[in-house]
Amino acid sequence: MPEADPFLRVEHLSHSFGGFKAVDDCTFEITRGTISALIGPNGAGKSTAVGLIAGALKVQAGRVYFDGHDVTRLPAYKMARRGLLRTYQVSREFPLLTVMENLLVPPPNQRGESLLNALFRPSVGRRQDAALASRAVDVLETYGLLPLRDEYAGNLSGGEKRLLELARAEMASPKFMLLDEPMAGINPALIARLDGHIRRLRDQSGITFLLVEHNLDVVERICDQVVVMALGRTLAEGSMAELRQNPEVVRAYLGGGLDERAVG
Amino acid sequence: MDLILPYLATLAIFFFVYNILTWGLNIQFGYAGVLDFTFITFVACGAYFSGVFALGPGQKSTGFEWILGLSWPFPIALVMGALAAGLLGIVIGLIAINRLRSDYMAIVTLATGTVIYGLVSNYTPLFDGFDGLAGLQTPFTQWLNINYNQFTYLWVGFCAVVMVICWFIAQRILNSPLGRTMRAIREDQEAAEAFGKDSVRVRLIAMSMGAVLAGVGGALLMGFIGAFNPAGWTSGETFVVWAALIVGGRGNNWGGVVGSFVVAVLVNEATRYIPPIPGNATLIPTVRNMLIGASLIAVLWLRPEGIIPEARRRFYQLPLLPGRRTPAEGVGSAGS
Repeated sequence: MPEADPFLRVEHLSHSFGGFKAVDDCTFEITRGTISALIGPNGAGKSTAVGLIAGALKVQAGRVYFDGHDVTRLPAYKMARRGLLRTYQVSREFPLLTVMENLLVPPPNQRGESLLNALFRPSVGRRQDAALASRAVDVLETYGLLPLRDEYAGNLSGGEKRLLELARAEMASPKFMLLDEPMAGINPALIARLDGHIRRLRDQSGITFLLVEHNLDVVERICDQVVVMALGRTLAEGSMAELRQNPEVVRAYLGGGLDERAVG
Repeated sequence: MDLILPYLATLAIFFFVYNILTWGLNIQFGYAGVLDFTFITFVACGAYFSGVFALGPGQKSTGFEWILGLSWPFPIALVMGALAAGLLGIVIGLIAINRLRSDYMAIVTLATGTVIYGLVSNYTPLFDGFDGLAGLQTPFTQWLNINYNQFTYLWVGFCAVVMVICWFIAQRILNSPLGRTMRAIREDQEAAEAFGKDSVRVRLIAMSMGAVLAGVGGALLMGFIGAFNPAGWTSGETFVVWAALIVGGRGNNWGGVVGSFVVAVLVNEATRYIPPIPGNATLIPTVRNMLIGASLIAVLWLRPEGIIPEARRRFYQLPLLPGRRTPAEGVGSAGS
């Protein structure tokens, strides 16, 4: 395990809903510039951990360090402003905004969002929008969504919405992307496109990734490092090959299907 | 002719005022998704404060008492009324928006409005309680030497000018990146926060700007009628504005115009002038409320997005950098 330069570090994180401990003393760290996966059986607490890191849930116990700072209990919008971008298990597009508008919302530091500029200096917002729109055209083209730019995002197909999520995320220019099951419910061809985009973003923009993912083929193909969670805590960390040798991981998660997949 | 023209002028004033009110609610609900069920409280705030800034001092001995009483010129009093409503918008917004989801927000706004209603109508030193403010001299008449009918026509013009200013406020917010962020928060607050949008700040802006327009509308009513009391802002009045916005089409200020004409003018105000049927004094108001309710149900069934739905912002309407390829070329090159 490379100890150097952890971008994200989670220490003894715990969270319960009522009496149920969803996350229980969970500790792991993610190295800068890697693509990592968070895997584990359903109910292991992965999505809760994502919510805690991203600030959507309030941390009850433990600490979160991001980019060298203690960010425990920082609200979601402040985490986003520090360069952490999270997506959700289900696509969360803005349905009644067009695809193009969906891409214009994420960029940070929009001067047209100030009331005074909106009322008295609309040209400030228009000028910035012009620059953002031309960047959005490039991004839409990269994802093959340009022909849909005027469509309401709510009218897109499931797969197109997944692409839009990543395109939107790219517009926010984050340092770290926390993707909760980005490949859920889409066909293999689209999965190949999405993981291509993820690798491109890591290589070109140096974005660090943490994916919650159930598709172990994808994890094997693109992830440098894997964290296994079970019953709310970290079970193991390492490469996929190392984890396959770990009897505890096999018992808790990988199960019987492991052998065929390992051969294939 | 002597009767028809002043009548039409009066309808025009109500039409213009309701346009402003509907746009105000549109900023709150149509843009930002804030469920403000006490909108009429902001209208009342604008009316009361413009009143006490424009009226002379109240006196307890005569049975008329109210705060301030500064005898300021009405246009300045109107601005003060609008500012007071905007401040109240921030206060109620802080109570309702902070940490509350939309359904609870609706309940909290309604409850807060009810508390304010009880306070204002019972605590006489504020705005003379249930009797309310009265005796405001019609604005401008002390300088212009005109009769009441002439004042009515003048007021149509004044309302029109104020309405145009409010239109620009509403449109500029809608078409700015701020408006886009408001709509994104309306669509999915959590996802907008995940992009770094401070949803509390943005919705507070929407709440207070909507309240400012409500206050402007209230002040225009105060200037026209010269009196204002709690009977004029029961919570039912909030739903006339809501009905206008839903019928006309939320998220679109032209929809607000259509809705305020249909609901607030055609149904609500025009029926006030039908003479009461003897022995059936409450018939007309009851029919009016039924008509408003029926139009609301009809729209929600047949055209839930309203008569004029929110406009789709197409790409060619977006500003592009000079020298950038046109959208048409963009379509051709997109394939992969």
